[in-house]
Amino acid sequence: MTGDSFKFAPALLLFATLGIILLVGLASRTRHGAYYPGAGAQVGRIGIGAAIASNWMSAASFLGIAGVFYAQGYFALAYVIGWTGGYVLLLILLAAQIRRFGKYTAPEFVEARYASPAARFLSAIIAILISLVYCIAQFKGIGLVFGWIFGLDYRTALLLGAAVVMSYLVLSGSLGAERNQQLQYGLLILSFVIPLMVIAHKLGYFWLIPQIGYSQALQDLAQRGESVNLATAPWAHGSAYQWIALCFTLMVGTAGLPHVLSRFYTVPNVRDARWSVVWGIFFIGLLYWSAPAYAAFARLHDLGGNAASDPESARALADLIILKAGEWAGLSLWLVGVIAVGAILAAFSTITGLLLNGAGAFSYDIYYRILNPRASERQRMKVAKATTLALALIVVLAALNPPWLIAQITAVAFALAGNTLFPVFLLGIWWDRANKQGAIAGMATGIALTAASLLLGGVWPTFGALFPPTSSALLGAPLVIGVMIAVSLLTPPPPESIRRFLAEEVHQS
Amino acid sequence: MTDRQPPTPPVPNPDYRVNFFRPRPGRMRAKVRYLWVLLLSWAIFALGFQVVLAIIGQPPHGESRLTEMSVFGFPFHFWFTGHFLIVWFIILCVFYNLFIDRLADQHRKRK
Repeated sequence: MTGDSFKFAPALLLFATLGIILLVGLASRTRHGAYYPGAGAQVGRIGIGAAIASNWMSAASFLGIAGVFYAQGYFALAYVIGWTGGYVLLLILLAAQIRRFGKYTAPEFVEARYASPAARFLSAIIAILISLVYCIAQFKGIGLVFGWIFGLDYRTALLLGAAVVMSYLVLSGSLGAERNQQLQYGLLILSFVIPLMVIAHKLGYFWLIPQIGYSQALQDLAQRGESVNLATAPWAHGSAYQWIALCFTLMVGTAGLPHVLSRFYTVPNVRDARWSVVWGIFFIGLLYWSAPAYAAFARLHDLGGNAASDPESARALADLIILKAGEWAGLSLWLVGVIAVGAILAAFSTITGLLLNGAGAFSYDIYYRILNPRASERQRMKVAKATTLALALIVVLAALNPPWLIAQITAVAFALAGNTLFPVFLLGIWWDRANKQGAIAGMATGIALTAASLLLGGVWPTFGALFPPTSSALLGAPLVIGVMIAVSLLTPPPPESIRRFLAEEVHQS
Repeated sequence: MTDRQPPTPPVPNPDYRVNFFRPRPGRMRAKVRYLWVLLLSWAIFALGFQVVLAIIGQPPHGESRLTEMSVFGFPFHFWFTGHFLIVWFIILCVFYNLFIDRLADQHRKRK
């Protein structure tokens, strides 16, 4: 897919970084043995905010946003706004209440709120599906970057990358870097912004704040070629409806994603947890303010007559564009290697988290709670490990032929979350009358809608236009909420104890 | 499952109603009112702006006065969406936190 040669400097950087992280991980495991790193440590609000951001930053943020901006210009800002605005929704409507509810995974919350093992089962299936889709996008990023570093074709590189990820998982449980989220965030953001400053400097733009400096690059693009306004014109790559549908989908998806605010719940003090979200958005913003600059600088190179800028080849390049921007600007391979290693770190930690999450949902919520309630701790661990491997295998197979850009694949996971878990959380918290029949009907409708948006678009164009696969929740989430309300009203109310708990404990302040 | 439960004795004040559109009077109503203000400011700035941009935009790609004005060298709409909205989200979260802090402090004093 890339046709690059083996690059010594980035490969050395990669091995050195992975080695250090592995050592740190092993050392801290033998010393503490505790699973949650931040729980006891005295990190302030800023530190928790950095942890939220590093938990969030994946290949979709690191490679994907710049890629979509390169291919689709202004349309990419729907991702930026969707993935930051979702935190506002989450903070205002759900975070504190779910925390007071005291159930921190989606399946646990669903069973406690709706008093239904069947609803729990369904939500566990959804959590696993979300992890799978999200992971496919991450593995695409890993395949591309490994291919670039080692000069391999995409598929070979993907298998190599997958082998490295899996040996990591086996060796250190959760990655060493995950144990220090603040350090991880610092590494990621520096490996993203410093090369960008150097690129801006080399190309003669305002380099001190390249997030503003690239406006001049956009103007130069506008003067020198017609792809100008294609970068900044509002609806050159998608209609206003598509933009808003995508943005809304990512927002409600963020609020419904099971793993997003896990940091929020492990912080001892609620007030600190709330304020840390402010810092979290700021730290995520630092990355998102910078990402379009990479794409703009890369576009300049295209205009120099160096690369074909027809849509097809632009799409093929898009997800590697932050590396290409560095190469084209004449950065040393060491510095481009820094970007590449940052991307791999972001993808690695996300994959580890997602696979463990998915495996947890299967081994605990499905296997232990439903299939075999008398399973011992050891049996459950065995199932969890087997599930992790099985999930990884499925994901790698699916990633062999990635259909879309990284950010687009990720968006499908958000659409599923927005169509299923978001309505179940929202009504579960804000409407005492929502019951298990409503939740089950709602989640089933949401799964069906998301699947239909993937399958029916070609056969039934009107449906495809209203429910794009990446953006089905603009209409989907309200529809599911409607189904939940209708079914809940037609069936008996939930138990008195749950309604009292909701009114007196969850909404106490 | 409702049949086998014995009839529960009537509770003096069984107002367990939780409804975003009809909140209980008192603290919860004050809070929900504030949440509505925040949610509207969130939706109007993030999504309403795009609607305006679409309504006043000219074909083929939606050029309008908002795309011709310039801030920091960016077209206005681009700067607003790509830079300012994230700042706006941070501001909204700060407002939310200040409000909830105040509410919690009042609550604690009254106790």
